[in-house]
Amino acid sequence: VTDLLALVVQQSVNGIYLGCLYVMVALGLTLIYGVLNQINFAHADFVTVGAFAAFFTATRFATKALGIPDTGAYLLSLFSALGAGALLGWLVSAAVFAPLRRRGADELRPLIATIGVSVLLENGQLALFGPIPYQFDSPLARETIRLGPIFFSGQSALVVAVSVAAIVALYAFMRFTFMGKALRAVAQDRETAGLMGINENLVIALTIVIASALAGVAGAMLGPVVVLTPFTGASLIVKAFAIVIIGGFGNMEGTIIAGLLVGIIEAFTVQYLGSGLIDLVVFAMLLLMLVVRPTGLIAEHKEENV
Amino acid sequence: LTSFFTGKKGVGFLIALIVIAAAPWLLSTSYWRGILVLCAMNVLLALSLNLVMGYTGQLNLGQSAFFGIGAYVSTILIKTYGWNFWLAALAAVGAAGLVGVALAAFAVRLRGHYLAIASLGFAVITYQVLVNWESVTQGVRGMYGILPPVPNAVALFYLVAGIGLLVYFLLDNLVRSPVGDTLRAIREDEVSAAALGVNGAVWKAFAFGLGAAIAGLAGCFYPGFVGTLVPDAFGIVESFTMMAMVIVGGMGTMIGPVIGAVVLTFLPELLRGFGELRLMIYGVALTLVVIFMPGGIVQAWWGLKNKLR
Repeated sequence: VTDLLALVVQQSVNGIYLGCLYVMVALGLTLIYGVLNQINFAHADFVTVGAFAAFFTATRFATKALGIPDTGAYLLSLFSALGAGALLGWLVSAAVFAPLRRRGADELRPLIATIGVSVLLENGQLALFGPIPYQFDSPLARETIRLGPIFFSGQSALVVAVSVAAIVALYAFMRFTFMGKALRAVAQDRETAGLMGINENLVIALTIVIASALAGVAGAMLGPVVVLTPFTGASLIVKAFAIVIIGGFGNMEGTIIAGLLVGIIEAFTVQYLGSGLIDLVVFAMLLLMLVVRPTGLIAEHKEENV
Repeated sequence: LTSFFTGKKGVGFLIALIVIAAAPWLLSTSYWRGILVLCAMNVLLALSLNLVMGYTGQLNLGQSAFFGIGAYVSTILIKTYGWNFWLAALAAVGAAGLVGVALAAFAVRLRGHYLAIASLGFAVITYQVLVNWESVTQGVRGMYGILPPVPNAVALFYLVAGIGLLVYFLLDNLVRSPVGDTLRAIREDEVSAAALGVNGAVWKAFAFGLGAAIAGLAGCFYPGFVGTLVPDAFGIVESFTMMAMVIVGGMGTMIGPVIGAVVLTFLPELLRGFGELRLMIYGVALTLVVIFMPGGIVQAWWGLKNKLR
């Protein structure tokens, strides 16, 4: 019995760590959807860009040029991934979302336009970095921490710590700063917020930048635990959408809960059913959710979407 | 019907016939003839998605699943059970259509982005079933040595393009009939349509079912054309490609998706000289078209014509 209990706890720990990665990716999608009512399909490709930015910072720039030791170099690379994500977010906001908004586009066109961005980013990285997977070694992934019968790597501890810190920072920003309040106001009613003197274009750009920075950091943490290719992020996008829907489109708390839930379900699916069935289980859950409770775990009062 | 033979539409069909007849002889290498077959299949797929997305206004990202269901059902019936191609194709079209009606159950309850993601999830599940149900689909190992229903690429092109022309003709009549008005009413405002006595659920099921059946029909010809059948041919990327064709050409018009399918089949081939830049240019072009030509090529052309007048 203790063995079974240990196994369940161990898989839950694995699931939470995985779920934190998903939350970092899905939160950005939710943020953008909440404020803009639009989908950024290239979001998961920002994850890949973040992963490559971190990889080159950690393995080439920091260790070779600056002579920083392994662990420090990896931690520094998290910031370069954050910067790369934020920059990319600003570019896409200015070049794609803003022109579409000026032209009064419907819900469909931003989706298609960002599919184009996604194709561009994936193949641009393919041209730059090639199809051969990169070995991104995080010094933390080599450390094993043991708590009684439960094991986890230093990397998973870092993932959980960074995710929690990011979520806390995000909530603090939304609650206590002027820009955070402006962001919530625009999410609630863009027109009225604009009439109240809020610069909505600035707020929307900022939202996309924050969302993309989160995706970049997620990439830096994901890189060492998966096979890093130009298509690493793309394999996540559909799952991230599933999480956003299960949590209730545009709802942050729902997304966090759904992300952790999907991570835990995935860990147990691997344990009991085999890794080939992960997507099947997650999407069966998504469709079930849409039939039973289309508003998601936590419902927002937006009747027109459902 | 007399007006069809004397009017502008008749001339259009005559031109289409001539273009189809001449194409394999203008592009006469086996490589380009293959591209032509692919183009004809893409036209069918774009037409099928346009019925659901363009005319009925349902955001559907799951069309690749019906393409795959058509391909797998027909091939399994032929290879495992020894059915005749046409009988198998008929069964495959029926199967795809039925699954399409089933997906419409979601469209009845969900709208906009929710439906988009639900249909995307449906496509992912279909793909995963193709990968994991190895006893029937052979999984990622795939099926080999599949023969087309006709002996060569030119005949296959004539066959698929002929079917494409027929489907175009039928759909063109459908969307101009009262049924087309009903579908457009659902697209424009479902609540008002319901107030006028339109049963939204039934007509959405009709559009999804018919669209799925046409995509399934295109799927019947795909395995014979490439000779092999693997799940990767029906990933969600296929859904995006179809959607790009519909949007670039001009959603909600009949000729738009055809133009989109032709342009987006040939554009990557013409860009082959650019090597790895090819798909990057494709991505940029898609984004630019959506931003600067929101109505697609067709509407841009109409706008240009009006300006010149």
